[in-house]
Amino acid sequence: MTPGELFLQQILNGLTIGAVYALIALGYTMVYGIIQLINFAHGEVFMLGSYMGLTVFLLAGTIGSGGVGWLLLALCTATVGCSLLGLAVERVAYRPLRQAPKLSVLITAIGVSFFLQNAVMLGYGAQDRYVPALLPAVRWGGGAVTVTPMQGVIFGVSLLLMVGLQGIVYGTRLGRNMRATAQDPLAARLMGISVDQVIAGTFAIGSALAGVGGLLFGVYYSTINFHDGYLVGLKAFTAAVMGGIGNLPGAMLGGLLLGLLEGLGAGYISSQWKNVIAFVVLILVLLLRPHGLLGERLSERA
Amino acid sequence: MSSTFRCILCALVLSPLFAGCGKGEPVVKIGFVVPLTGDQAAHGMDMQRGAELALEQAQAKGPVLPGFKLELATLDDARNPAQAVSAAKRLAADGDVLAVVGHLNSSCTKPASAIYHEARLLHVNPVSSNPQISRQGFDTFFRICPTDDLQGPAGAHFAIQRLGAHRIFVLDDMTTYGRGLANEFLKAAQSTGAEILGHEGITQGEKDFTPVLTKIKGLNPDLIYFAGMFPEAALLLKQRFKLNLSARFLGGDGLFEPALIDLAGPGAAEGMYLTTLGGDIRQVPTAQEFVKAFEAKYGHLGAYSSYAYEGTNIALEAIRQAGRKDRQAVLTAMKQMKQYPGILGVHTFDAKGDTSIRTIGIYTVHSGKFEFVE
Repeated sequence: MTPGELFLQQILNGLTIGAVYALIALGYTMVYGIIQLINFAHGEVFMLGSYMGLTVFLLAGTIGSGGVGWLLLALCTATVGCSLLGLAVERVAYRPLRQAPKLSVLITAIGVSFFLQNAVMLGYGAQDRYVPALLPAVRWGGGAVTVTPMQGVIFGVSLLLMVGLQGIVYGTRLGRNMRATAQDPLAARLMGISVDQVIAGTFAIGSALAGVGGLLFGVYYSTINFHDGYLVGLKAFTAAVMGGIGNLPGAMLGGLLLGLLEGLGAGYISSQWKNVIAFVVLILVLLLRPHGLLGERLSERA
Repeated sequence: MSSTFRCILCALVLSPLFAGCGKGEPVVKIGFVVPLTGDQAAHGMDMQRGAELALEQAQAKGPVLPGFKLELATLDDARNPAQAVSAAKRLAADGDVLAVVGHLNSSCTKPASAIYHEARLLHVNPVSSNPQISRQGFDTFFRICPTDDLQGPAGAHFAIQRLGAHRIFVLDDMTTYGRGLANEFLKAAQSTGAEILGHEGITQGEKDFTPVLTKIKGLNPDLIYFAGMFPEAALLLKQRFKLNLSARFLGGDGLFEPALIDLAGPGAAEGMYLTTLGGDIRQVPTAQEFVKAFEAKYGHLGAYSSYAYEGTNIALEAIRQAGRKDRQAVLTAMKQMKQYPGILGVHTFDAKGDTSIRTIGIYTVHSGKFEFVE
């Protein structure tokens, strides 16, 4: 393997996990942009996405067929299931606290996170679960640089979803309402926007993205566990902060960048310093640009 | 919330506290701590079954300590050292506990052993193979498995002599067990003249090891040695396959769990090797009765089930010989036990508390199953 091929392979490795981070980071940043809540239960929604996929695959196993059809069905299940879950969490845990201090909502989010984790542990067991491979185990690129079909799916689906999200935010009525609410909820309400509906919509979309991320993650790494949401959620949150929390392109950039940093740091420096390298860069970014790479300086709301 | 509802809720929450009251018979307990949740729960549950079988068989033969009901106090350490310490403190504080069998991971056993030592509790350790644990000078510590200063060199010898590996990359999971085993392997491999291309750690619980594997691919080694546990090993094997990395794969006893093959996928695990504590249990004559009883009751026999069974039996024997509910008496009985004929062989414990049984086995994965090599 030449150094050039090695570098290309490391970039591909980094972008794969980075794309998943980006999908989850979008959910953190959307919710933060609208209600200034760091939704700590978001990592758990991601984890549940992979478990919803697993359930579909187990069903596929009992019926006895595999393949792309089931992957699509699992994608739909994770999307719909997680957006419903996001709606439910918002309705049950966050909406009653809309007038409460921000800290109460934050603590509630941590509570929801524990609840979902333990519910999955009780329902699916504490052990690692094996996610069957639905796509053929082939490698594209022969000997040196290799890409698997699943990596292709991860790149494709994430790109599609990110473009789609931009379309929703800048091209639809819901998107316009979301941007208005993010700027000033009170003024938005006075303009006749149903703020509650907008918030619910934000949770649904953000959770759907995390669900898809969870499914892709589960299929790609083929093992899932009930506490996967913690570490991956933390990384995605970091990505959102690095890109500028509240900023959609920032979350995408932050996710891809974090994936690349981890990949290159582990590949060229040392794998045991992988997280240290990623977080040192986060600190440097925040020292130089306290609002993140693409974040704008916002005036504090009174 | 109405006040009636609150009352009912309180009653529901508090009711388990009173459930245990009013039973007259005095109790003695053997503490048993392994990971029962988390990614290594598969190992822990296999061990729990071994311990339960030992207790059941002992009780079928009559009371171990006449006048007392014997129980297993099973706790979960989730392979987390902090949780292991809090479990150890709970057992130390419970006066009914006379001995502890436990902890799978060396990183859990090491800090917990200090608490058992302070509480003068007999601590029988089944499978934590880090050699440092028995060098802390704790007279309460007894270990029934061979240690990594044997396992590491055995792996190095096999890699170099039998697999013909000259260029080796070493990975570990940065735990007490993994780092310790990797260092023992390294020392032995270097003294035999193999070239070590690098030694790096990976973080337990992470999923993406493609960056370090890509780096390894660039160095083109003959063999990758991994000192760690099966969840990470499964991902390493799978990602090694995805990256078309042709180097052979050798690991330690933490990989000896059929879930490894399921999680990695049979194709990715095929042809990998691992060293194990002890040889093939099915070839040990004294273990056949146990294997039959275990498989009749639970089906599949786990890698560490026999060690948990043996460890529990040794604790039971010490309690039986002590003949009274007293921690110091149990400890003295254990120290006076010159030899213990178990299913794994005859144990004689040295001054550090380590067993005289020092066999290391080698297994490979063939047609999606573990197969004994030597």
